[in-house]
Amino acid sequence: MRPHLIGHLDADCFYVSAERVRFPFLRGKPVGVLGNQGACVIAKSYEMKARGIATGEPIWDCQRKCPDGVYLKRDFRWYEVLSRAMLSLVRRFSPAVEYYSIDEFFFDANPGPGASPQAFAEALRNRVTEVVGVPVTVGIARSKTLAKLVSDTAKPFGALALTDPDAERALLARLPVSDITGIASRRAARLASLGIHTCLDFALADRKRVRKLLTVVGEILWWELNGTPAQRLCTDRPPHKALSRGGSLGGPTADPDRLLGWLARNTERLVEELEYHAVTAGRLQVFVMHWNAATGAHEIDLPQPTDRFDLLLDAAKHCFARSWVPGLGASRMHLIATRLRRPGFVQQGLFEAPDGRARAVAKLKREVNAKVGRFALRSGATLPLYDVYRDREQGYDVCDIRGKLCF
Amino acid sequence: MLTAIALPYHALPVSLIERHRLDGLAHDRGGEKELQFHVAAAVPLLPVWHEGQLRIVRWGCRRGEGRALPVGGWTKLATVESGYWSGCGAAAVDVPAALGLDGGVWYAIRQGMRGVLVQDEGEVERVYVVCEPASHYYGVMTRSDWMPVLIGERI
Repeated sequence: MRPHLIGHLDADCFYVSAERVRFPFLRGKPVGVLGNQGACVIAKSYEMKARGIATGEPIWDCQRKCPDGVYLKRDFRWYEVLSRAMLSLVRRFSPAVEYYSIDEFFFDANPGPGASPQAFAEALRNRVTEVVGVPVTVGIARSKTLAKLVSDTAKPFGALALTDPDAERALLARLPVSDITGIASRRAARLASLGIHTCLDFALADRKRVRKLLTVVGEILWWELNGTPAQRLCTDRPPHKALSRGGSLGGPTADPDRLLGWLARNTERLVEELEYHAVTAGRLQVFVMHWNAATGAHEIDLPQPTDRFDLLLDAAKHCFARSWVPGLGASRMHLIATRLRRPGFVQQGLFEAPDGRARAVAKLKREVNAKVGRFALRSGATLPLYDVYRDREQGYDVCDIRGKLCF
Repeated sequence: MLTAIALPYHALPVSLIERHRLDGLAHDRGGEKELQFHVAAAVPLLPVWHEGQLRIVRWGCRRGEGRALPVGGWTKLATVESGYWSGCGAAAVDVPAALGLDGGVWYAIRQGMRGVLVQDEGEVERVYVVCEPASHYYGVMTRSDWMPVLIGERI
């Protein structure tokens, strides 16, 4: 009997491939997609990778290594369009699909009687590439962790079903343990001290020892590497335990007005998320990353769980005043809402002010922005960020793409 | 400041390439061949769309080439809006481009950029690329203070 199989589809250099769908002229050229500020490469083509350029590298270094490289500004709206087109196609091939990230899906990969897993992988790869125009790689194996390792190995434009335990072991013996999603450099260093260097070393290690060293997370990976699925397919995203918004401030700034503008902007983005998920926040944390100095952080418990902009902005200002060091340039900011509650289950406070007016304002703001465009109606505190709002692409980030399991 | 543009080789009709001997501008960086137009070329040229026709004209004006026209290959959007060029009989044109070069960085362009087409006293047609202050993104990407006025997009 054939084991139950899991598939992993991964788009090949997705952002670049997405740009090549609408600009075919870019095919075959060294291409880099730049991040939110235009300073760093967040995705590169294989041609650019061959020149030694790594993701995250600043453009001025890339330019030196690859003078004829072509750079583009990211456009997450377009990438989401293609991501959802791929998702829809994978769903036609499989009854259960996990939207893992913008360019990666896990799926139930059990073809009907008579069809081979290898043929299934090839058919899916070819269909997605033909219909959406984005080259992808498909890996099929006995668990999610194995399927991802298989597709990583088969890149680019690969299709590989690896279901034979001997073939699995041969693959695992070739791969460093750090290739496993969930084993980053610190965990890999701890494993190395025990003589575990390859994925096969990890799979053959004593399970209890692995659990002692890497907790239950490590044990789950151990089961998965040995072909026993221990991570289920999440076809629906589980409810969030926290919601956050923030990111780069477009270069370090110590201007209090501009920083307040970012605080208001991120609060408005956070409120959008709270409203979308129909939850209120019981606690708010603010992180401020200073340029060449320590990160400041502060959190506050809200008197009542809320999704109201005015209350959250007041709380954010309180936290910000205790996180930012005046005079120091801040380069990044994050707002994190935790202790999320469904409004219906919240005990109302005895002295809570009526919020009918605030609710009406929030509703009006939602409706205007839904009709005219995101951020068309926004807090006056965001006025110093006129340049940010003028740039349409700044209004949509990868974290705005909903339903994904991970970032 | 923008110093070159590139177009896919097939974007220009063969007749135009032959008439202006543009084959020497062909360049291969992988994928489809392209034609590069540099302001620093011995004879700087740019393609322009004018009155429904794609033509090849001189890019800007160099010192000693004309007395009536400003030296350079660019003009500010504010200058265009002030009406400066309308007194010279200039026409608004589109400069098609797939790539632009600024500060040594090649970047993708969706359609092209705005230009101003004008004749010098010898009736030689010259185009100036219309520029505006660089956006934050463009400024970081190219380290340039000015950017071309792009058609249908803002970088």
